[in-house]
Amino acid sequence: MNFWQRTLAILHKDLMAEWRTKERLSPMAFFSLLVLLVFNFSFELGGAALHEIGPGVLWSSFVFASLLGLSRSFADERENHSLDALLMAPGDRSAIYLGKMLGNLIFLLAVELICLPFFTLFFNLSPGWFLLPLLGVFFLGSACLSAAGTLFAAMSSNMRLRELLLPLLMLPMILPALISCVEATGLVLDHEWGESLYPHLKMLAVYAIVFIALSLMLFEYAVEE
Amino acid sequence: MKNLSNASKVLSTLVFVSMLAALGFVFLYAPMEKEMGDTQRIFYFHVPAAISAFICFFLVFLGSVQYLRTRETRWDRLALCSAELGVMFGLIVLITGPLWAKPIWGVYWRWEPRLTSMLITFTIYVAYLMIRTHGTRSGQAPRLAAVLGIVAFANVPLVYYSVDLWAAEQQLHPPRNVGLAPEMRYTLWICYAAYALLLVQLLLRRLDLARIEEAVERLRQRRDELADY
Repeated sequence: MNFWQRTLAILHKDLMAEWRTKERLSPMAFFSLLVLLVFNFSFELGGAALHEIGPGVLWSSFVFASLLGLSRSFADERENHSLDALLMAPGDRSAIYLGKMLGNLIFLLAVELICLPFFTLFFNLSPGWFLLPLLGVFFLGSACLSAAGTLFAAMSSNMRLRELLLPLLMLPMILPALISCVEATGLVLDHEWGESLYPHLKMLAVYAIVFIALSLMLFEYAVEE
Repeated sequence: MKNLSNASKVLSTLVFVSMLAALGFVFLYAPMEKEMGDTQRIFYFHVPAAISAFICFFLVFLGSVQYLRTRETRWDRLALCSAELGVMFGLIVLITGPLWAKPIWGVYWRWEPRLTSMLITFTIYVAYLMIRTHGTRSGQAPRLAAVLGIVAFANVPLVYYSVDLWAAEQQLHPPRNVGLAPEMRYTLWICYAAYALLLVQLLLRRLDLARIEEAVERLRQRRDELADY
């Protein structure tokens, strides 16, 4: 099997396991909605709040949901002692990273697409074609979160206090991507796309590429026994 | 060991003398700044501390890369000790910055790009230290920390770039290439030298301490092994 076949095999396994159990996607999506609800009582969503805090609220809920999903992504492997088997498989271990990362990307995108209608509902935002560029922002933003998150999830999976440490590791590191996600989302909600949106999308793309490249190089060391 | 402690004494003396000289230059020699008055003098501590912090963060990166390549403990020790010092110098920057800002900007804190970037960078390295102290079982700490040390350093330019995008129009920091009066420039160079000496001395002392800690740990393990028999 070459590198891509192994990557796709891991991805296929993760998607299949999720399809059968649904133990990650539904808690993530529900958690994301609960975060929106909590924010509603902290800030009174809707109306003018949409442009003030809307993008921040939306991305906070995505980030918290992604933390939840990421911590499971290696926890299952550890609980079933299947990570050892994956690591013993011949060939480049970075395929494990890439497969898992693509899986996390797909789960996160699914959560975002589930939450978006509720977000528009809670904020009284009338949906329209102007929201289309959000798909690009969601894709790049989720790529950033899962690129960095999968590496940190792998690292924290054999640490002490892992559930506690994953957010500590991840939140400061993803701040640069989060800033651009929030800014870009705000621009789209203000019907401003094009010139002003482009630098943020570029920033997200650079962040995702840098983290994927670094993780492919470093994953080997992060999971070594 | 005898020679080492002599060298260390010499270095301590040098740090003491250069710090006194720096204080003398900052408060007695450097001219009063026209607009900011005495408040501006904090700049002579703020800027060298910021540069020292980034030197430390680079040393964390260097130690981490070298550790993964060679697996020699001394590189891991360098990364750990530099991270601690980097966080300390970062704290000096984050404390002196607001002290300067209160009279000049009217508030202690503004979400201004370079302040924000420094704060994010600082939190990344605090997280690094937390992971090292709380997260890892013995044996795996150096390896995981090395991965983190590399990722953290690669993240620094991204932090600066994204924060600039976010709040470029709020740039309130005095520009980097501002023309300094010659007396101010000399004072700044003396402060750089004093901070560089301080950095070297603290790093060497901390590395010694780390070696002693490791030796104690080895002895403790040995004792436990013997107690098992």
